[in-house]
Amino acid sequence: MSLFLASIGFGLVTASVLAIASVGFTLQFGVTDVLNLAFGAIMILGAFVAYWVNENGLSVWLGLLLAVAACAAASVLLNSVVYTPFQRRGASPITMVIVSLGMTLIIEFGLAALVGGVGVSYTMGNGPTFQAGGLILTGVQIVIMAIAVAAMAGVHVLLRYTKLGKAMRATAANRNLARNCGIRTGRVITATWALTGALCGLAGTVFAIDAGSFSATSTDLFLVLILAAVFLGGPGQPYGAMLGAVIIGLATEVSAVFIPADYKYVIAFVALLVMLGVRPTGLLGERT
Amino acid sequence: MKSTRPVPVAQAAGDHRHAPRTTPRILPLGAVAGAAALALTLAACGSSSSSSPSSGSSSAASGATLTVADVAPFSGVDAALGPTYLATCYGATSAINADGGVLGHKLTCKSVDTRGEPADAVPAVNEMFASTPNLALVIGCTSDEAASVVPVINARKMAMFCMTGQSEFDSVHFPYFYRLVPPDLEESYAMVVIAQQLHYNKVALAFGNDIGSQTFVQPAVASLKKAGMIVTTNQTLDLKATTFRTEAEAIIRSHPQAVMTEALGTADATLFAEIKQLNGGKSIPIIATSAAISPPFFKSAAAAVGASTFASSFHADNLVVESAGPAYGPFKAALLSQQGKVPGTSGNFTTYLSAPGGVHLYDGINLAALAMLMSKSTSPSVYAPDIIKIGNGVPGATVCYSFAQCAAALKSGKSIRYEGPGGPTNFDGFHDSTGIFQIDTYSPSGQVNVIGNITAAQLRAVQP
Repeated sequence: MSLFLASIGFGLVTASVLAIASVGFTLQFGVTDVLNLAFGAIMILGAFVAYWVNENGLSVWLGLLLAVAACAAASVLLNSVVYTPFQRRGASPITMVIVSLGMTLIIEFGLAALVGGVGVSYTMGNGPTFQAGGLILTGVQIVIMAIAVAAMAGVHVLLRYTKLGKAMRATAANRNLARNCGIRTGRVITATWALTGALCGLAGTVFAIDAGSFSATSTDLFLVLILAAVFLGGPGQPYGAMLGAVIIGLATEVSAVFIPADYKYVIAFVALLVMLGVRPTGLLGERT
Repeated sequence: MKSTRPVPVAQAAGDHRHAPRTTPRILPLGAVAGAAALALTLAACGSSSSSSPSSGSSSAASGATLTVADVAPFSGVDAALGPTYLATCYGATSAINADGGVLGHKLTCKSVDTRGEPADAVPAVNEMFASTPNLALVIGCTSDEAASVVPVINARKMAMFCMTGQSEFDSVHFPYFYRLVPPDLEESYAMVVIAQQLHYNKVALAFGNDIGSQTFVQPAVASLKKAGMIVTTNQTLDLKATTFRTEAEAIIRSHPQAVMTEALGTADATLFAEIKQLNGGKSIPIIATSAAISPPFFKSAAAAVGASTFASSFHADNLVVESAGPAYGPFKAALLSQQGKVPGTSGNFTTYLSAPGGVHLYDGINLAALAMLMSKSTSPSVYAPDIIKIGNGVPGATVCYSFAQCAAALKSGKSIRYEGPGGPTNFDGFHDSTGIFQIDTYSPSGQVNVIGNITAAQLRAVQP
């Protein structure tokens, strides 16, 4: 029973990291129409930016801020240099997926060539350990959860109450109509790449902090979890992605209590398939 | 614009949005499935291109440079193995080239990335044969890919020194297959002997879900039972996962005195960190396989839990390798001469002097090069039988300890027996020559220390 409770705590930590990434991914997809599979590669790029900062004797939390900025810039660059030219030439959605997959390999293997295939870790403490009932969490894990909650609240405020957020929603709904209504959709899309890139950098660094040890290809499986959370919640639905992240995070960790741990991701994906079978548009997706 | 329920980003200004958005939202669902399939396909792709084919039945053109191919993982979770063997290859071939090469040929090394996956390894090996005209020897072939590539390499009549411990090679004869390492099950027994010597009787198992790691599990379980020890829990670690908190907590709650493990990539480092984190800052002693004796493993584990903590709680079995004596000096000089020159290597380079693959593949390359000299041919189908003659020796053979020394003896017409830093070889009918084990630890700087040996009698005592 106590291991079960502990696994719920672990699941919430996984869900926190996954939520930041999933919300960034789904926002990006919803507004820009690009299913950017290079999201995971940019995440790990951010993790290494923070690592380089940390290696130079500075705090990983400062590294996190630089990773956020670096990934925002990298995402804007990725869009303007790679994706936009393809979209201007009328590339189909599947073509864009293939382009983004190519970018994943380029970024990951480029990074691997730069840093090697060895696992690296941040130099940082985990803070005190807190136990309550069966739950066991370290100070750093609690900080990660707090960051995730803050990021989700920020996204909520942005989408609900700001001009940019409303413009993003309008652009996502109908880009032509939004443009005709006077919204500068080009700027909105660039801002979306910057914003979701920042979430990507944030997710990458907390992912690496949480993992303890990471390498250039560490986000390969995590990207699949992001996709699972996004599609479980409903593609393009930030709140759905949050919900999906919690379900996937909990399912993976809690299932490891009852079944051999190497099958824990299988359980998560069985849940996803069942869900999509019952409700193909996802938990919060619009029924068509 | 206001809404009383969660606001999807794809929802906006008006009712007219739903119809036009339906199609684009459905398309990417298919795209994801396509992308996933494509990702698998792309991930299965190997490396570069081709020209004239190579096989073991022809000799190289006069003066042509011969290639030693390192067929091993250079990416994926076992990415540390390939560079380890490549360091050896650079060291051995530089020493051979410094002595004038083999029959007028210089030697060079080539890396062939199998990604540690059988499905990736076969196309990579086929491509290697197609693109390497003067291929003379293959090294590497770990347990990750040996079962799939050994038959392919053997069919091309190419000599190979493999680092696989899989037991199937104990009894299946491949004429071009040579092995200087013991079967994995013996390594499992060696880990159990270490646990005995450290007076542990409750042990947890945590092995990666790859072929190379899982091969240790059943022999270890059986051997622990034979030794009267208790397996507190047996956790299989998904090497692509990034956290093992639940597994770590299950290990802690089973109260083992030690954890036996092999989970390469970042998995073991993450597991050690999470065990320490969840165990009130205390590590549980680790007994690892010889694969943990490598600079990348030390670097990532030490970074995850702290070098002193890791060093104080770590033991591993390793094949007996010399750390002094007539063979060690030339080996050390050859290997260290390549420091900073080998792509993909990192960490404390001196650790490669103790890496099991490093030492034994150095011997393998020397044995093959000497066999070429002895047979006066660079064709594996001609020189391969002489590997055994040089390794096992014949009565009255002169024992020699380096390529230069052995080549000089051969030139003067003597029969030789090569004894390298991996110790004497004794090939059986399946071309296996298995050594005995030692127990290694690390110092906080990453230096490998030998703290004891494991005798054949001790291994037999825990053999089920």
